[in-house]
Amino acid sequence: MESVSRIASMMDPARDLTVEAAQALGLAKGLGGGGSSGRTIPFAKLKALLDSRSDRDLLDGLRKVVSMIYQNKPCLPYFSSVVKNVANPNLEIKKLVYIYLLHYAEADPDLALLSVNAIQKSLSDQNPQVRALALRTMSGMRVPVISQIVSLAIKRGVGDMSPHVRKAAALAIPKCYNLDPNTLPQLLDYLSTLLGDRQYFVVGPAVQAFLEICPDRIDLIHKHYKSLVKKLVDMDEWSQLATLRLLLFYCRRCFPQRTRRVTKVNKKGFYDDEPDETVETNEVVQILDPDLELFLNACKPLLRSRSSAVVASVTSCFLYLGTSEYLQEAVGPLVGLMRGPPEVEEVALCNIVLVSLSAPDLFVPYASHFFIRAHDPPQIWRLKIELLTLIFPHAALHLKSIILSELEHFSHGSDIELIRESVRAIGRCAQSDPINAHQCFRVLLNQISSFDNILVSEVLTVVRHLIQQEPASHRKTVVRLARNLDRTSSPEARATIIWLVGEFASLDPENNIAPDVLRILAKGFADESEPAKQQIVLLAAKVYLLFLQREGATSPDKNNDARKMGDIEDESSRNSTLVDHPISKLWNYVQLLARYDVSYDLRDRARLFKALLANPQSTQLAALLLLAPKPVPHSPSPSESRKGLVLGSTTLVLGKDVAGILGLPGYRELPDWVEAGHEPDPKLRDAVDGGEKEEYVSLGARKGTTVAASRRLDEAVKEQGLEKVVAAGSTKAHSKQRTLDDWLAESGEEEEETETETEEETDSEEIEEEESEDAETGEEESEEEEEEEEEEEEEETAMRQGLMSKA
Amino acid sequence: MSVTVDALYIFDDHNNCVLEHVYNGRPPSAQTLISSFISRPSPRPSILQLSDLAPPVTAYSVSHAALLLVAASSKDVQSLAILDFLYRLVDVFEDFLGSPLLANKIEDNYEIVAQLLVEMCDGGIVCNTEPNALRESVEVSSVLGKLFTHVGLPGSSPALGPTNGLASSLRPTITPSLGPAIPWRKSNVRHTSNELYVDIVESLSIVFAPSGRPISARSNGSIAFTAKISGVPDLLLTLAAPGGTSSDKTSGILRTMQLPVFHPCVRLARWKDSPGELSFVPPDGRFMLAGYETDLMPSSLNTDQPPTKSDKIFLPATVDLRPGLGGSGSEFEARLTLNTNFPGVATTGKSSTSRGGLGPIPSLSFGGSGGHSQAPSLEAVVVTIPFPVDVRSVTELKPSRGEANFNAFDKVVEWKVPTKEGGSINGVATLTGTVAGPLSATDTDDDQFSTAEVGKINTMAGYYEDDAITNQDETEAVMNGNNGSSKKLHANKALMPRSISVSFNVKGWLPSGIKVDGLIVDVKKSKGLGDGVRPYKGVKYLTVSREGVERRV
Repeated sequence: MESVSRIASMMDPARDLTVEAAQALGLAKGLGGGGSSGRTIPFAKLKALLDSRSDRDLLDGLRKVVSMIYQNKPCLPYFSSVVKNVANPNLEIKKLVYIYLLHYAEADPDLALLSVNAIQKSLSDQNPQVRALALRTMSGMRVPVISQIVSLAIKRGVGDMSPHVRKAAALAIPKCYNLDPNTLPQLLDYLSTLLGDRQYFVVGPAVQAFLEICPDRIDLIHKHYKSLVKKLVDMDEWSQLATLRLLLFYCRRCFPQRTRRVTKVNKKGFYDDEPDETVETNEVVQILDPDLELFLNACKPLLRSRSSAVVASVTSCFLYLGTSEYLQEAVGPLVGLMRGPPEVEEVALCNIVLVSLSAPDLFVPYASHFFIRAHDPPQIWRLKIELLTLIFPHAALHLKSIILSELEHFSHGSDIELIRESVRAIGRCAQSDPINAHQCFRVLLNQISSFDNILVSEVLTVVRHLIQQEPASHRKTVVRLARNLDRTSSPEARATIIWLVGEFASLDPENNIAPDVLRILAKGFADESEPAKQQIVLLAAKVYLLFLQREGATSPDKNNDARKMGDIEDESSRNSTLVDHPISKLWNYVQLLARYDVSYDLRDRARLFKALLANPQSTQLAALLLLAPKPVPHSPSPSESRKGLVLGSTTLVLGKDVAGILGLPGYRELPDWVEAGHEPDPKLRDAVDGGEKEEYVSLGARKGTTVAASRRLDEAVKEQGLEKVVAAGSTKAHSKQRTLDDWLAESGEEEEETETETEEETDSEEIEEEESEDAETGEEESEEEEEEEEEEEEEETAMRQGLMSKA
Repeated sequence: MSVTVDALYIFDDHNNCVLEHVYNGRPPSAQTLISSFISRPSPRPSILQLSDLAPPVTAYSVSHAALLLVAASSKDVQSLAILDFLYRLVDVFEDFLGSPLLANKIEDNYEIVAQLLVEMCDGGIVCNTEPNALRESVEVSSVLGKLFTHVGLPGSSPALGPTNGLASSLRPTITPSLGPAIPWRKSNVRHTSNELYVDIVESLSIVFAPSGRPISARSNGSIAFTAKISGVPDLLLTLAAPGGTSSDKTSGILRTMQLPVFHPCVRLARWKDSPGELSFVPPDGRFMLAGYETDLMPSSLNTDQPPTKSDKIFLPATVDLRPGLGGSGSEFEARLTLNTNFPGVATTGKSSTSRGGLGPIPSLSFGGSGGHSQAPSLEAVVVTIPFPVDVRSVTELKPSRGEANFNAFDKVVEWKVPTKEGGSINGVATLTGTVAGPLSATDTDDDQFSTAEVGKINTMAGYYEDDAITNQDETEAVMNGNNGSSKKLHANKALMPRSISVSFNVKGWLPSGIKVDGLIVDVKKSKGLGDGVRPYKGVKYLTVSREGVERRV
């Protein structure tokens, strides 16, 4: 989803930075002393402020100090003056002091230790916000000495009444671990408790902490598995991310991949009484463990999440755990991420490419998303081109032709990289879809006569690769290419064509164009570029060699005849026919041309070939050298090298060449599926959970489905009219296990306690209802805009009355 | 691969560090980071591995307005999550410091920024990014804080200022509730004037093939919602889209709002049961309620047969480009066609009355920028023509309307066409210009071509029995080979623009045709909303094209 700020700037682009900036600038000037930026306050004055007894001065001083921290000005001299305020009851002062402490505790651990006592006192403050704050600050100070105190504080926090404090305790665990890894056993204890917390609000951070300190201890997860799956929908995005990640790894380790072959019933014979045969086909279907299915289904609503990271995470769960049906559902939302800002689009594309490497057909309906925009930066068009080639073999004909013309369009561009990439992409299209390769070929060959040298040489390289992969079917292409020699000016392109002609001379002896090409090329030898000349000499050598071989093959008959006439005579006559043949003459002519060329490299080559082919009888060595089969080049999709990397990781975006062979530090390969028989006992997941489950999602359990927080809210409110009356007396009783519906049931009373001005509104349901009836009769005198809402109100009051009568 | 941030940096447009906050470990200082960062060639990918630093870090960067936000992490983390976090950070900062976010606002409010940073990300673990939840734990009661909430757009948050004042004055008496009741809504919201605004913004992304046929046409929509309403309101927003039959209204919505995403407050079950109905308890203030996209393509591309009828998409502004005109082929002509006969506009009068419950919606607007008439208005029309880098300049720009100029740095011609002048703006406007290539190009090109020409005298054409594929390049080649001016023609062809695009804004019209059918405060489910209070409701539609309508040549 777009961010608020981006939409705001879209709605009102003009205001950006012009009026606003001027206004802000003017304000800063007008404000004078108020603005703290760029203004240094004398040491003594600031110190006096910090030592002041008035909260106002103190706050002012602290604000200035905090500003100075961020301006990188030295603030250490104020340490004692700041820290002595740590016990100040004013929350804002406390917060600012804590911020200072977090920054400087490491620089002066001894003085910081003095503050620990006061912070510890705050741990038992009445206000949960203060307790949470104290816990966070204490664990955040980088003073290893206090690790045991921190650990104790966490222990206390874990048992706190307020979920805010328990959340802070969860988040403090990795910090404590960093202070002193020896505290791990205690921390694991706390973590285990927190993972079983009833509040999704606490469990999320606990999972985050778990991933930080002990991602491999899946034995701690078993008994919480089901509750984690249930709470997944309610958590905030960051907790969802951590939980998805945890459960992805957990599932790979705990659910062996079970497959079964699809059975098909074969009608065996014509008559009905012949038994049908049940045959196992090769199609393999994955069977999902019910627990795994529970998780995957709980993920589905998250595909509607506003957070792009969550959508990508769910996709990875479906890709690595689920069946293709699941993956299919995730593909759309994944493509939808491209709507986001360019930075997100880029990373989303990386992930899309990875998924499409394994399931390209799923992306065909979204092909139009991958067409390149003129203003796309290179990192984005590169990925888009790759996607187009990946889906090409799976697309229908019309789409194929659009993709090809799209690539053709960009091969005529002005950006060299873009030309190169798109031509290569056409080559990959041809390679992956042999049936339609001729279309790609036509596109490529049409470009050979272009005046753009870069384009032509790139096209030829790709064409050469394609021909080499399947020489037999491209005989005519070589002929066509040879004809293109007339129009091709690029030296590399000419050289490539000549090489191809030489390479294919041996394929089709009957219809061999090589000698003729050589003849024509020899005429213009002097005007050729050096690479082309080299290839002409090579071509000449090959043509001559083939000629010698053919002669050698037919000679046995001659030899038989010759034996009668006498060996020597025959040899000489045969040699003379060899020498007189036009090909020999051509070979000699080319040799002569090369011999007097200006390039020594060319002269050397010519000499080498001459020596190789000096004796017409022994051509084996020359054949070995000149007619050796060439390895077939294969051009993989550029992202093929990233195939094994985990979806969503940064290593995937960077690629292994940047991130290193093992990926970035902390990068973990996906664990293999556990082997059947080695998985932990599924009963472990049921064991302890039972009772707790009841307590947590009372509503969800009743309905038998996982319900979103908002939905539960909805239902709670629905029932509220009735529940109110019942629950009124007993609310205080279950303040311990508050869920959303509990809260809603109670909040009426709470508001009554906290706010005095609006009492009449929230007193109780009955009054509210009466009042709304009053409103209907026209007593309302609000100053709001007048709008027609009568229908609504009528409807609502009608329903209310219904409720009333029930109550 | 969790979501951990080692450090956060914000730089202004001169690459000066505005903010540096260390969460974890020993990340590089802002100076070393930025110098390594800008040493990378531009345009930079959003994720960069800065391996030349000690310790090596991965920099995740996002640019917003004139600010560059960089998050550094030395470990492998979920890449999208960090980018998400940075965008949330911008949103939160704008919420607290006023929009737009400027460097000096951050500098003047370090104490608020510091609290926010610590709350949002605890020891490197991102944990709380809900503006409403942050309001409860971050103190902004200072004089400066109040001042700066007023700095925001007059219309954007008029009620925020008083709210803050009220909330902070109430604060001491509030004992924070035991648990977060609704994670995205702060408790005890009080507004003196209750207002609800829906803004639907759609951003166009359309590509026309050289043939004039669209190959990709999408509209990316976002629904921004502003709730300034007391208590815990329960709202129901009903959307309608064209295409649904009277019996089955939802099919239109399902087809129009594709791949939707929602704010966590939206009840997904309700949406699933009856698409088009968004039922939610909103956060206080402004937030993104939903996002979606609409495929405007009349027919599917993925068929075996090319479409038979010509595909028409209504657009208020379309462009076309004819390159390679004139004797030497160095001239081009751009045509802009404006058409403000919006389909369905004639019925706006009716529809506004039929939407009675919402009041005079089309005329409502934000921030005093109102005053535009009922009819949709086309604004800020700019045609952009990107040129290849080899182009030295574009001269003799003659627009029939508006003004055009060539930006030699970006190699872009920008043609602004005014739409505010009286009378009809419909019709065609043209722009002609001449492209000048690199200074020495013509000479060297000639040499190159003459040498190339020599190799072609010995023609092989027609010598062989040809393969089946005969095509046009033969004739083309004959044409090219002969006269000398064709070389120049080709040289100029390489300098011609390959695409043209148009940007514009339309107020009061959406390409998808989505309409707000109703916005109801469910009094029964809502709590704490004063009795009989009728919140003021406003709806605004906006279509934006940021070089979004593109025509290939």
